[in-house]
Amino acid sequence: MKAFTNVNPRTLEDAVSALTRSRASGARAVVSGGGSDLLGLIKERLVQPDIVVNLKTVAGLSNVRADARATTIGGLITLDALSREAHIRRDYQGLAEAAASVGTPQIRNVGTLAGNVCQRPWCWYLRNGYACYKNGGDRCFASSGENQYHAIFSQGPSYIVHPSDTAPALVALDARFRVVGPRGERLVNASEFFVLPRVDPARENVLQDDEILAEIVLPPAVSSRRSTYAKILDREAWTHALVSAAVVLDMDGDVCRRARIVLGGVAPVPWDRPRAAGLLEGQRVTPELAAAVAEAAVSDARPLAKNGYKVPLTRGLVGRTVLALARQ
Amino acid sequence: MSVLGQPTPRIDAASRVTGSARYTGDVRLPGMLFARVLRSPHPHARITAIRPERALALDGVKAVITHQNCRIVWSSGDSRNTRYLFNNPVRFVGDAVAAVAAIDPHVAEEALQLIEVSYQTLPFLLDSEKALQPGAIAIHPGGNLSPNEAGVRQPEVYRRGSIDDGLRESELVYEGRFTSAHVNNAQMEPRVSVASWDGDELTVYASTQGISNCQRDLAKDLNLPLERVRVVCEYMGGGFGNKNQCHDFDLMAAVLAQQAGVPVRLELTRKEDYVAVHGRWATHQYYKIGVSRDGTLQAIQLRGYSDMGAYRKSSGSIAGIELYRCPHVETTVHPVHTNTAVAANYRAPAYPQGVFGLDSMMDQIAHELKIDPLEFRLKNATRAYHDELPYTSYGLEDCIRRGADVFEWRKRWRRAASDTGVVKRGVGMAMGSFAARVGRSSAVIRLDASGRYAVHVGVTDAGGGAKTTMAIIAAEALGVPLDRVTIVSGDTDRCPYSIGESGSRTTNFTGYAVVEAARDLKQQIETRGLPTGSVVLIGSATPEPVIKGAARYSFAAHFVEVEVDVEVGGLRVVKYVAAHDSGRIVNPLTARSQVKGGVTMGLGMALHEQLLYDPRTGRPLNAGYYGARVMTHLDAPDVEVLFVETQDAHGPYGAKPIGEPPIIPSVAAVANAFFNATGRRIRDLPISRERILEVLA
Repeated sequence: MKAFTNVNPRTLEDAVSALTRSRASGARAVVSGGGSDLLGLIKERLVQPDIVVNLKTVAGLSNVRADARATTIGGLITLDALSREAHIRRDYQGLAEAAASVGTPQIRNVGTLAGNVCQRPWCWYLRNGYACYKNGGDRCFASSGENQYHAIFSQGPSYIVHPSDTAPALVALDARFRVVGPRGERLVNASEFFVLPRVDPARENVLQDDEILAEIVLPPAVSSRRSTYAKILDREAWTHALVSAAVVLDMDGDVCRRARIVLGGVAPVPWDRPRAAGLLEGQRVTPELAAAVAEAAVSDARPLAKNGYKVPLTRGLVGRTVLALARQ
Repeated sequence: MSVLGQPTPRIDAASRVTGSARYTGDVRLPGMLFARVLRSPHPHARITAIRPERALALDGVKAVITHQNCRIVWSSGDSRNTRYLFNNPVRFVGDAVAAVAAIDPHVAEEALQLIEVSYQTLPFLLDSEKALQPGAIAIHPGGNLSPNEAGVRQPEVYRRGSIDDGLRESELVYEGRFTSAHVNNAQMEPRVSVASWDGDELTVYASTQGISNCQRDLAKDLNLPLERVRVVCEYMGGGFGNKNQCHDFDLMAAVLAQQAGVPVRLELTRKEDYVAVHGRWATHQYYKIGVSRDGTLQAIQLRGYSDMGAYRKSSGSIAGIELYRCPHVETTVHPVHTNTAVAANYRAPAYPQGVFGLDSMMDQIAHELKIDPLEFRLKNATRAYHDELPYTSYGLEDCIRRGADVFEWRKRWRRAASDTGVVKRGVGMAMGSFAARVGRSSAVIRLDASGRYAVHVGVTDAGGGAKTTMAIIAAEALGVPLDRVTIVSGDTDRCPYSIGESGSRTTNFTGYAVVEAARDLKQQIETRGLPTGSVVLIGSATPEPVIKGAARYSFAAHFVEVEVDVEVGGLRVVKYVAAHDSGRIVNPLTARSQVKGGVTMGLGMALHEQLLYDPRTGRPLNAGYYGARVMTHLDAPDVEVLFVETQDAHGPYGAKPIGEPPIIPSVAAVANAFFNATGRRIRDLPISRERILEVLA
């Protein structure tokens, strides 16, 4: 790896000003949460920072606070801590399940929620240093190459899949992201945080180079709402989802009032399926309805040469996840 | 009470788990430099210029070697072609181009960026059959079919009977094509070597499966007398066949240390381990099998292609035919060069992929003939090696029968695709056999007045528990408690010759030498009495046992039940029974671990492991534990292990190999269970979710 300077800010303001100062001096600075993804990127020289701003020294960013208006989660909470948080497990089960499903215990012990949301894609062309869009190049090698793990929903020009487990759950739960930067802070809806390649093929979200994802704000818990996160891997642990589904159901007895289905592993951003979810509204969730929802979730899929299997996989996962959650 | 046959924890377990064990990577010598290797980014290219000047000018860089100033031949890196430490042209992505020694690993890595290399890229080949087509570019002079041992460019052929007559006279003939992928040994311990010169004497701290063969190769390649080379490996963390002999990085460390005048440590990253050392050869297999209507085998023909990658380090055989009794057999196997990572020895090198193809065929034939696959195996399983030589001991039939009983095969087996549910159950079985060789190794046992027996053996304990095995055998042979025995191992200065931990030979070769050395020592004690004062008694032996007129083999039969989720393509192992004839079991605890480990590795190969290349650039895309999908703890099934302890007149107390056999049947057994569950056969490894959903679509 290339040598870099580590900076330990005490506050978010210090962290942002470290980023701003670095940029002003022409240095390349990056932020590190748990560092589990960043370290690999640096070792592979895919990122070659001069300065690493270590957020672990910023106080107060790893807690969960809840009041009548919102539940606020510090971006630095580890995935393991998040998955064990009683309040999250009770009221936002899908998020707890998503956090618990990431990688391995070692990764969950150091990896953070904000880091999981902001990690780079695991496309093998990107990770092997090909000059693709994501590495600052001008093409996607996967679109006509080895694309078995790639997107079935993308209009290009990049066909990566978003790798985060927590991101689909956060979108499904209507989370908002508190982003802090040199011009102050802003609240971004989770569904607007992630950007499609046709908007900006080099990045996966709206964060600017001097901005930090500080906190995640969830709407208050509703007793009629339940959520889950299910994913399918090609081994039992330590890979990213081939397909995942975050499902939220607002139930009135056995009738679904409102539903949200957001997929992971199939598109360059968490992939919201409002039309499929809409079929559930005002209905009893039967196996037949779940199958129709599953079909609607993939009806517009456009698989690449080697990832056609993801269509039945997604269909199967959505159908059984919706049904299981409705019967929970 | 006898020590042999008792479940015995490893004698070095505490030092391994507490961290006090000194592995090669822990070796730190005064003034030691750190080395890194620059590797080719191209699958096939001629180096037209290489300029190390900027690297050498970097502060802290002490030596740089390239093909220009280092023309050493790495003899064990290729048995047919001349393979240098640094080759021009480079023949695969990862082929070594230069090595740098510097004051720390980071400076060494920085220096790699400063070496300027100009490449003229050449066309490249990634597929073994395409590499044999007319007009294909020659990766080595003379063509891409690697020569046989006689140096002739012809495939390896085995024949008995007359295949043409056999196929013509068969009532039914079945054909099938199967492929297997390149998979990596994926051993836990990374590759590392520390080389240190004292005048003209070289010490290499290696992570090796064989200190003696590593020493011999280093001496040969560096043109040194054997006694000036010392190889030390106190503890090692696995190799499964890819840490035998000496490696190019051992030689590079030695050359850099010589140039720099101080010790040099060279460690590879996991990715380098995947692309630049070796894995198991991928194969293409074409079978034609003739049977009579009652299911008796008449003829087996195999035409196979083994992808050896850029260099020829091993046989490239496709094995398994010897599992079946059959009058007419012909196998024609082509070891082929491609511009991919080298393929060579990996746990039962030629077997799991060969048995996958062959035992899938047999399973299919049994299905077509409406015969229970168990009965088909019992009818056709080998009873004499190649239908010719008697076995010294034979437990295959007992493995099949007893394994089937424990598995409850007759209760669980139904015709293929009988299960109509979304999650379908199915069962499969397969067989395995592995040569149980005997041969030369040495042992020395030293006894002084303290009453301790120091057993000097040149083993390194690659992970199977060889130190403990040697101690058990010594205690048994000496008739003393285990705690009176100390094992001195892993150092060519302190240990006599040992075969090395390859071919599942350590227990049989070196263990037998321990028995003979103990016999020698006991005779001395009988004549001279137990030593007192400063008297030291030394027993030693270098037996060279041979077996004439018979074949010695270990056997196995595996049974597996799977659940296949046809909606989402998942395959889960729900029951696994592994029955093994490895003769007398020296240590049931570590023997069971060997079986469980071998099955787990086989399942990884069966279900999701493979090294994948980008067809346009010839670069591997998924090197490493994450990308190549090796098994995790959560993937490992519960394995019931059953030992069929046959009586064998050879080896130490009749022990036969257990290290390699467990991986042999596992791949085919799972593939057959998938077929039984779904009625669809997957002929290309791995049987991934992707392939499952494709065949079920």
